[in-house]
Amino acid sequence: MTADHLCYLTITETAAGLRRKEFSPVELTKACLARIEAIDGKLHSFITLTADLALQKAEQAEQELHAGKDRGPLHGIPIALKDLYATKGVRTTCHSAVLEDWIPDHDAAAVNRLQEAGAILLGKLGMHEFAFGGPSVDAPFPAVRNPWNTAHIPGGSSSGSGAALAAGLCYGALGSDTGGSIRTPSSHCGIVGIKPTYGRVSRDGVVPLSWSLDHAGPMARSVEDCAILLQAIAGYDSKDPASANVAVPDFHDRLPDGIKGLRVGVPRAHWFDENKGTDPETEAVFDNALKTLESLGAVIVEIDGKAFSIARKANQTILVCEAYAYHEKTLQATPMKFGSSVRRRMLEAAFLSAADYITAQRARSVLNDQIRANFSRVDVFATPSAPRPPEAFATMDPNEQNLRPNFTNPFNLTGLPAISVPCGFTPGNLPVGLQIAARPFDEATCFRVACAYEQTTEWYKRRPPV
Amino acid sequence: MTEEMTLDNLSKMAAQAGLKLPDDELEKLLPGVNRARKQADELRQFLSDATEPAAIFTALRVNKV
Repeated sequence: MTADHLCYLTITETAAGLRRKEFSPVELTKACLARIEAIDGKLHSFITLTADLALQKAEQAEQELHAGKDRGPLHGIPIALKDLYATKGVRTTCHSAVLEDWIPDHDAAAVNRLQEAGAILLGKLGMHEFAFGGPSVDAPFPAVRNPWNTAHIPGGSSSGSGAALAAGLCYGALGSDTGGSIRTPSSHCGIVGIKPTYGRVSRDGVVPLSWSLDHAGPMARSVEDCAILLQAIAGYDSKDPASANVAVPDFHDRLPDGIKGLRVGVPRAHWFDENKGTDPETEAVFDNALKTLESLGAVIVEIDGKAFSIARKANQTILVCEAYAYHEKTLQATPMKFGSSVRRRMLEAAFLSAADYITAQRARSVLNDQIRANFSRVDVFATPSAPRPPEAFATMDPNEQNLRPNFTNPFNLTGLPAISVPCGFTPGNLPVGLQIAARPFDEATCFRVACAYEQTTEWYKRRPPV
Repeated sequence: MTEEMTLDNLSKMAAQAGLKLPDDELEKLLPGVNRARKQADELRQFLSDATEPAAIFTALRVNKV
C-alpha cells in the first residue's frame, strides 16, 4: 500500500486495517505528518501542527490496541480540529490576531469525547476569522486554498477542515456551522459534513460566533465516517446551556436501510429563483442528484420555498447581533486587530436596535413553524449545498462572502440537522454538494439518504490533483 | 420604516457606542449598516402581536456561570 493510498483510506477501512495489524497508529500518524509536510504549503489548511503530541498519542494507542484495550472505531485515527475548539495547552487562534497567542487551559467538550474515543490530534486547522466574514486575506495566517484548484476558495468558515480532508491530510475533522460553515466547505471540497440538530453536540469550549445559531459537527470523506465521528461527540452536556437531553441513536444501524418511499421535499419555488446567480451547472448537477434519489425509490415533492428564503434574513440579523455582543469589548478597544471582512460585518450590529434583534428572533419563531409544517408532506428537504461552485481568489470579494444568498441558513435558524454529500462536479472539475435536511434529532435519516446516494454514485471516491 | 443612516449619524452613533473608528472605515461601513437595517426592517411584516421571540427564558434551566 502506498503512503497516498494509506492517507486516503476511510476511517472504517483504517480501523479495520489497524485491527488486522496491516499498519499501526504510529505509521498512520507519520504518513499524515509527511503528507502535510509535503503538500500543505500549497493549501495552508493547518495553522498549528501538534506532531510530537500526535506521535506520543499514537504510541499510546498502539500499546492500548496491542493490549486489547479497544476504544472503538476512532482509536488510533489521526484527526484535526477547526481552530476555534479550545485545546488544553495547544494554541487556539480562531484564525485571528485577536487570539494569536491564546493557549487554553481546557479542552472543548467535543475534543474530550474524541480523545476518550482514542482519536489522535494532528493539529489545528485554518478557518475564516472567528468563523465569520470571508477567506481571511488580512489575518496573521494565510487563507486556506481549495485542493481541487488552489486558485479557488475552499468555502468557509471551516475551510481548513474541508481542505485537509480532501487532500488526505487527516481522516476526520471537526467544524462549526452558524450559517453553513460545515456544509459549504464540505460541498466546495468534495467531502461529507453534517450540521447536527441544535443541542445534539456540546458547544462547550467552542469559541462562539452566535450562541443561538452555532452548531458543532463533524466532517469526513464518507457518510459512514461522518456518522462514526458524530456518534463519538453527540450527547447531553450540562456545561452547554443549549445541550439537549435526547437519546443518541446508533447512527450506523440504519445506514444501509435505503430510501424507498422516502418523500424528498424540494423548496424550489420562491427560493431557488431568489438565489440570483445560482450557477446553472450547479443546478443541473443537483437535478441529476434528484433523479438518482428517485431511481432509488424516493418520491420528489416540489414545495414552496418562501419561508426558507426569508429565513436567511432572520439568520443574518441574529448572527451579527450576537457576534457583536460577544466581541463588543475587543471591537471598542482594538477594532483594527480584526480583519476587515469580519470587523465590518460585526460592526453593522452596533447600529441595529434591540427591537431589530428581537424582531429577528420573533421572525425565527414564525419561519420555524412554517418550515416544519412541511414535514406533514415530506420526510426530508433537498437543495444544492451551495448555489455556486467555489469562487476564484482573484475575483472574490471577501466582504461579500457572507451576504450572498445561500441554501444553508434556514437550517441554522430552525436547528434542523442537515448534511452535505458530494453529488458531482462542474465542467471545471469543481465539486458540488447535495444538502439533505431532516426532522429535529433525526440525523440518522440524513445519514441514510446521503449514504444511499453516495454508494450509488461514488463521487466521494474522486481525489483532487494535489 | 427605518430611515437610511447618514455618515454623520453613523459617526455620532459609533462614538456613543464607544467605537473609535477612522472616517474612512466609517465610510466603508455605511452601506453594510444600511443593508442590515433594511433587512431587519423587512422581517417586521411577518410578525403578529402574538409572536414571541424564539429565544425565551426558562426558569428551570441552570446555566454555567
